[in-house]
Amino acid sequence: MNALPASSRFTETPAVRRKLRQEALAKWIFCAMAAAMVVPLLLIVGYLVVRAAPSLNLEFLLEVPKRGMTEGGIWPALIGTLYLVFISLAVSAPIGILAAVYLNEYARDNWFNRVINLAVINLAGVPSIVHALFGLGAFVYAARFGYSIISASLTLAIMTLPVIIASTREALASVPRSFREACWNVGATRWQTIKAIVLPNSISGILTGVILQVSRAAGETAPVMFTGVVFFKSVERGDLLPYYLNEQCMALSMHLYTISTQVPGVQPSIPFATAVVLLALVVIVNATAISLRVYLRSRKKW
Amino acid sequence: MHPSLALSRSFFAAVIVASGALAFLAGCKPKSGDTSASGGKSRTTIQNKGSDTMVNVAQVWAEDYKKLHPHVDVEVSGGGSGVGLAALTKGTIDLANASRDMKAEEKALAKKNTGKEPKEFVVGFDALAVYVHKDNPITEINHAQLTDIFAEGGKITKWSELGVKVPAAHDLIIRVSRQSSSGTYEFFREHVLSKKDFKLGSRDMNGSKEVVELVATTSGAIGYSGLGYNEPGKVKMLKVSPKAGEPAIAPSVATTLSKQYPIARPLLIYTLGEPTGELKNYIDWILTDAGQKVVEKSGYVPLRAGTPKP
Repeated sequence: MNALPASSRFTETPAVRRKLRQEALAKWIFCAMAAAMVVPLLLIVGYLVVRAAPSLNLEFLLEVPKRGMTEGGIWPALIGTLYLVFISLAVSAPIGILAAVYLNEYARDNWFNRVINLAVINLAGVPSIVHALFGLGAFVYAARFGYSIISASLTLAIMTLPVIIASTREALASVPRSFREACWNVGATRWQTIKAIVLPNSISGILTGVILQVSRAAGETAPVMFTGVVFFKSVERGDLLPYYLNEQCMALSMHLYTISTQVPGVQPSIPFATAVVLLALVVIVNATAISLRVYLRSRKKW
Repeated sequence: MHPSLALSRSFFAAVIVASGALAFLAGCKPKSGDTSASGGKSRTTIQNKGSDTMVNVAQVWAEDYKKLHPHVDVEVSGGGSGVGLAALTKGTIDLANASRDMKAEEKALAKKNTGKEPKEFVVGFDALAVYVHKDNPITEINHAQLTDIFAEGGKITKWSELGVKVPAAHDLIIRVSRQSSSGTYEFFREHVLSKKDFKLGSRDMNGSKEVVELVATTSGAIGYSGLGYNEPGKVKMLKVSPKAGEPAIAPSVATTLSKQYPIARPLLIYTLGEPTGELKNYIDWILTDAGQKVVEKSGYVPLRAGTPKP
């Protein structure tokens, strides 16, 4: 091919120059907006880590709060958050995934299924404080679980359920219809098709959806504050199973709220360090979700 | 076999194992409680909820009591006196902390729901201090002026009307108040505003500490909060006189106990019926010198003068 320099291939008229200037300007504006997204994130994380630095060590994670929560660590809150997240997802993930399979694979377009769909969409839009009140009425009072880890976890489960259903449906819908048709054509039932074709091909999307709800469950304050998370509970340092399920627990989000609004004379780095731990928990979980998805994607056959 | 099918099988197996482990964990928990360092006594949990004013004291009580009696877990939460008393009337908690008296209708409701008469224990006193910014030149205020500043229909809206020149030219009084479920809010309304409503447009904070913090950063602000929340050097506590012309009293432990300081209230704990067993032991301990020392250390006023200094 003829290697003429780019500038001599075309004649550059003023109109072309103006067009190129506008193009460059547009590109820079869009790029600046995209970069502006990163700035608050870096500022938040940077500010938190700098302010938290004096408290950030393993001791802070393992130690219990001391001297009226003005010193010490966050062990009871950290372990409480883990309890709440695991129990709530252990309830909402199976129900959510099975419901999504029904809605995506079996449900016909009739009034009954439209009502279910509408319910799922509306449930996803309910503010967390309303979930909190529902949990208080339904689990604490009506079901007589009292203020407890069970009540709080079930409230979180209901809150995460619609999002798990939505993300699972999306993952199921991304499996091409031709895969299912091929399977049906050799005489497989719907359940056989789901088992052999649909679930294996959508598992990465399903898992990602479920894991991303960990960060939501860990970060919510209102639903757990109303149903089973306390200001303080005395726990042994480093105790891995400090709570019964019918007792209340501490949680990171609530702990952060109380030590920054309610307790006078807290060591200034402690609230920031608590925030960093909460943030780190969410980042680790999200990173796990992303790497899992990348790994499972790499095994995809189409 | 299709590789991802094998993968999904192992995934579902993992899910089953995980839920099994969870059930195991839940089932095993009571046993580990029994064998913990409790000297053979079974574990007891006391649920304690209520006043934000008392939540810090209650927290230290729980922390200290656990050291003496490792088999007793006290769960402490705040939310306000109203929240604690409401939970008590439904019978969902053992102890309600309150910084105001339980109302007759709340007592009736508790009786109706649980069949038990709520019992009241006075565990200390709190003086409500009136806080202003540290640079505010005002040093004392009287009861009537406070009513005029905070109550609906009150005339005073500017610092100059109190004869005060505030630096930074913020003459307008910024009123800092509490959320309506707070016992502090109720107490101030009853005893300072003579049950009149608050003027609209105040900043209503969700915690005792937040009131002091907002006042510390706002030069034209005035707010009320517990004596224990004072942050010397950031805010100033005003002397309060019960009537114009009478001497103004500085809020302190001594003036509260001698009943000279006009805005003080008892700190209360309510139980359903006569407390028994561990619950009784816990309340008895709160009333001992060790429990009262916690009250004093937290900035409140203990029941007896001359409680040994920590």
